This record gives sequence, C-alpha cells and structure tokens, in this order.
Amino acid sequence: MKNRLLHTPEGVRDIYGEELERKELLENRLKSLIKSYGYKEIETPSFEYFDIFSKDTGITSSREVYKFFDRENNTLALRPDFTPGVARAAVKYFFEDEDPKRLCYLGKTFSNHSGLQGKLKEVTELGLEYLGEPSSDADAEMINIAVELLKDAGLTDFQICVGNAEYFKGLCEGAGLDADTVAELSENIRNKNYFGTLDALNDVDAPDSIKSTLRSFPDFFGNIEILDEAQKKVKGIKRSEDAVKRLKELYDRLKIYGVQDYITFDLGMLSKHDYYTGVIFRAYTFGTGDAIIRGGRYDKLLKNFGRDKAAVGFTLIIDQLLSTLKRQNIEGEAGKEEAYIYYDSVSFEAALKKATELRAKGIYTAMTRLNDGIKPSGTHKGSGNSLVIYFSDGKEKKI
Amino acid sequence: MRYLTFALTKGRLADKTLEKLEKTGITCEEMKDKSSRKLIFVNEEKKLKFFLAKGPDVPTYVEHGAADIGVSGKDIIMEENRAIYEVLDLGFGKCRMCICGFPEAKELLAHHEMIKVATKYPRIARDYFHNKKHQTVDIIKLNGSIELAPIVGLSDVICDIVETGSTLKENGLTVLEEVCPLSARMVVNQVSMRMEAERIRGIIEALRGVS
Repeated sequence: MKNRLLHTPEGVRDIYGEELERKELLENRLKSLIKSYGYKEIETPSFEYFDIFSKDTGITSSREVYKFFDRENNTLALRPDFTPGVARAAVKYFFEDEDPKRLCYLGKTFSNHSGLQGKLKEVTELGLEYLGEPSSDADAEMINIAVELLKDAGLTDFQICVGNAEYFKGLCEGAGLDADTVAELSENIRNKNYFGTLDALNDVDAPDSIKSTLRSFPDFFGNIEILDEAQKKVKGIKRSEDAVKRLKELYDRLKIYGVQDYITFDLGMLSKHDYYTGVIFRAYTFGTGDAIIRGGRYDKLLKNFGRDKAAVGFTLIIDQLLSTLKRQNIEGEAGKEEAYIYYDSVSFEAALKKATELRAKGIYTAMTRLNDGIKPSGTHKGSGNSLVIYFSDGKEKKI
Repeated sequence: MRYLTFALTKGRLADKTLEKLEKTGITCEEMKDKSSRKLIFVNEEKKLKFFLAKGPDVPTYVEHGAADIGVSGKDIIMEENRAIYEVLDLGFGKCRMCICGFPEAKELLAHHEMIKVATKYPRIARDYFHNKKHQTVDIIKLNGSIELAPIVGLSDVICDIVETGSTLKENGLTVLEEVCPLSARMVVNQVSMRMEAERIRGIIEALRGVS
C-alpha cells in the first residue's frame, strides 16, 4: 500500500497554514519578551552525545530518549530537553569571567514515551536559563518572567505554584531516613497520597515531631500563610527552616514585581529526580491536564560540566500553550494581510506591478497564472483579511 | 462557577462511590435512573458532572483533565501509572493483589530462577518480581480468567486480584505471596488540584469524615 507514504509516525504531526502562523507569532512575541530582560538566544544541536542527557544531568529517563549511533559507535541522543545542552555550551563558551549569564532558547525536543496516550513526541519548547546567580532575586526574575509570558499570551486565569525541595530533604535528613524510605515517602507526598504517606511512616523509626510534620504535608499547600505554619513545625532543622525563609524572601520580591496574586505555595511539590536543588515552580491553567511551565533551581548541574555555578531556569511548551489558548477560546494575534493575484497570459506585467506595490506595503502576495478556462478554486483562504484580485487583458477586474 | 467533573468506574464501584458521596451531601438524582441512556449526569445546583467509564480509562480521563476527579481501584492506578494525584483511600472495594498457583509452585518463588507469570497486570507483576524479589520472570499478558493459566500449563504462577479466594480454592490453587492490599481510591488531576483547590479539598475533607 502506497498510503503509508502519506502518514506521519505516531506522536509527530505536520503544522501548517493558520495554525503555524499563530504559532510563529506567539513564539516571536514571547521570545522578544524574554529578550527584553537581557537574555541572549542560543541554539544548541538537536542531537548530542547521550552522556549529556544522562541521569545526573537530565530529567528524562533514559528509556524515553531517542538514541542512535554515529560512525565511531558513540551513542547519540536527540535532545529530550534543552537545559543540559545549554549548560554544557555555557560552561564551554561563556564563563571566562564570573558575571552571571542569561540565555534563552526556542526549539524542538523529542521524547520517546509510550504511545497511544495522546501526547506528542516532538514539541516546541521556549525556555531560559539564568546561570551563576544563586540569590532569590534570580528566582524572582524567573517567576516574574513566567507570569509575564502567560499574561502576554492572553491567559488570565492561571497559577504559579512554588515549592522548595530542601524543606522535605531537611526533614528526611533530620529524621535520618534511609534512601528507600525517602523514595517511598517522596512518591507518596508528590502524589498527594495522604494515606500512603501515613503507611510509609508507620514502621519508620524517627522523632515524633518530624513524623508529625511529614504527616502534615497535605496542609503545606496554599497561600503565603501556609509558610508560617510550615516554618513553626521545623524549628531547629536548619535546612528546612532555610527553605521556608528562602520562599518568603522570594515572595517579598514577587510582591515588588506585583505578581503575587498568581502565586501559590506547595511544599509537597517534589521532583521525581534529584535534579532540582532548591526552589521549584510550575504554572497551571485549565485546558491541559498538566503544567505548562516547569522550572526551578539546579545548582549542581553545571558542576557536571566542570564549573560549580548556580543555575535557575524554566521551560514552556509552546504546543501546550497553543492548545490551552484554543480551549479557553482566547484569540491569538491575527495573521498578516494576504493577497492573491490571478492573471491571464497577457496581463503578466500589470499583475507584477500590482504585486510589487502590495509587497512593498508589507502584504504577502501570491501571483498565480490563470490558464484558459480554469477558474481559481478560492479555497486557499489564509488567516486575517485576504484580498483577491484578477487581471485579464492587462487590466484589473472586479469579480 | 466551573463544573467539576467526576469519572467513575462503571459498576459496583460507581454505586459505592455515589453512596459515599451522598453521605457528604453530594447527590446526583439523574444517575439513579438506571434506564437512562445519558452519558453525562449533572448536578446543576452544585455544578458537578459525572460520567461512567471503564476502569482502566478513569486514570486516563483524569490525567488529561477531561475529568477533574476520578474513582478507580488501586490495581488500575498502579498498572496505568499515570501522572495523577492519588488523594484518598475510599475504604471500599477491598481486596489483595497476590501471586497464586499450585502449592508446589511455592518452591519456584524461593529462588531466583526464571518462571512464567500470567497476569492482567504486567506492570505490577514486573515491578514486584524485578524490584522487590529480584527475580527474572517471563510475563504473559492475559485479559481474563487468569486462574486458567497454571491449570492448563501456560504459566507457573499468576499475579491477580484475590477477593475471597474461593475460585482459587475450587481449582486447587492457593495464594503464595501477597503483593499489596487494594481498595478504591480517589484520584485528582494535577491542574484541577491547584486551580480548584478549595472545592476539591472540601470534597476530600468531607469524604474523610464519613465512614
């Protein structure tokens, strides 16, 4: 069957016409917003050595990375996310001085997750990294940009949920829990599984005060007030106390930015991986089942490439944002004006003159020769206003 | 106000869930009419919607946000392994996930030798044997009547749900090991949990309060 040649594999798709135009407009708007904060764009290769995306440096499990071999039999990988590649490049090129670096990127990422789940395997991500600045001012700048991006895209009803993995880690350290118990607890807390958390704590030998705090994780979720409660519960555990203090500091900064209304806190928002080292945040809105922005601090990442530098960043999945906008019936920017000029064999010169005029005005203009007796189908309507002009016998004609 | 949508597992689990919800003051009269052919049932006053789905599909609806809240068995939640919040043990639909077989098969589980396991739950079986018992196994996926497998010689043991154990007993099979206890769980979509935090936490609290 030749039909096979017409199909794309599962998880990838063609984007064209009005949709692509909307996508490009959105991408450019959001990218220039990021650039207005002084971020410089970087392009890293679509594939790199697999080691760049290994367990210590990436968040995608090795099973979900597309891998292949080069002629020397090195294992290569299609990038499942941008951060490791950008970090590698930053260490290589930019850290000749100690100034913090601001980088942003836009491009496709690939993940080979199991099929038939209605999820794309190739998506466009827009993201940024703020490298070499450990303070909460950097965290605040990130979260503020995240809010600005979503507002600029047209969303009004969304939330940025902020957590700090250090809080939980401090408690586990204080209780002297072993790695297996920590993994089990972390999974239950991450899934908001209250009963599972209680079960996991049943046979644990730890001070009662810490156990009761671990039990109260479901309450550490809400507005700024929850931080006071959470702070009281960890008196004396410095790592956890510092984690709350850091979030409060961050909140104060966000108030100065004026974006505090979009912020909620969740100390139970833990990452599956050891990748995030401090503040972690996600943006949620209706219309997708999942977060549309994911980010946080990964201060250990750059060390893998040889420079011990702080790092914070986030990534936004453009495809998800577009489908959210569509579901929430938010109109994007209208496309450019377009014109279609049809001419017969003797009207070429007149038609070209008109087309050149229109193009000079910034109107996208297509010229098509009408062969005798064939009428244009009129089906190629673009977005925005499209203009159709006919030329016959050297003259412009209205139809 | 936005509608909150519930995805319930068709059958006994849905009935029990509605019973329990009723105790917290959440009702859906439309759903009690068993002859109704409607697919979506609405409680206009509280702005709630309900629909029934096949068990394994409930986590899928919830993960994608097509339903805010779902109720399904722990077995299905484990097998589907979706990115959803599992917020509540509803306490009914209790049973166990077990490794079963002829009594002689017990010996096979005591060592690390390769055995054949028939199951409807390949992920649960693999996780149990690989990560808990460190035993390499050959998993055979079946879709029902799992008990047949060891009897007709398709597999050495099975990994399946055991409620009373009477089917096993009648066929000379027995529970060899327990994988984990199961019951009905309430699951919530990640986005809904945050965007509708107040309403959903209200429902969770109310359900926690009734036995």
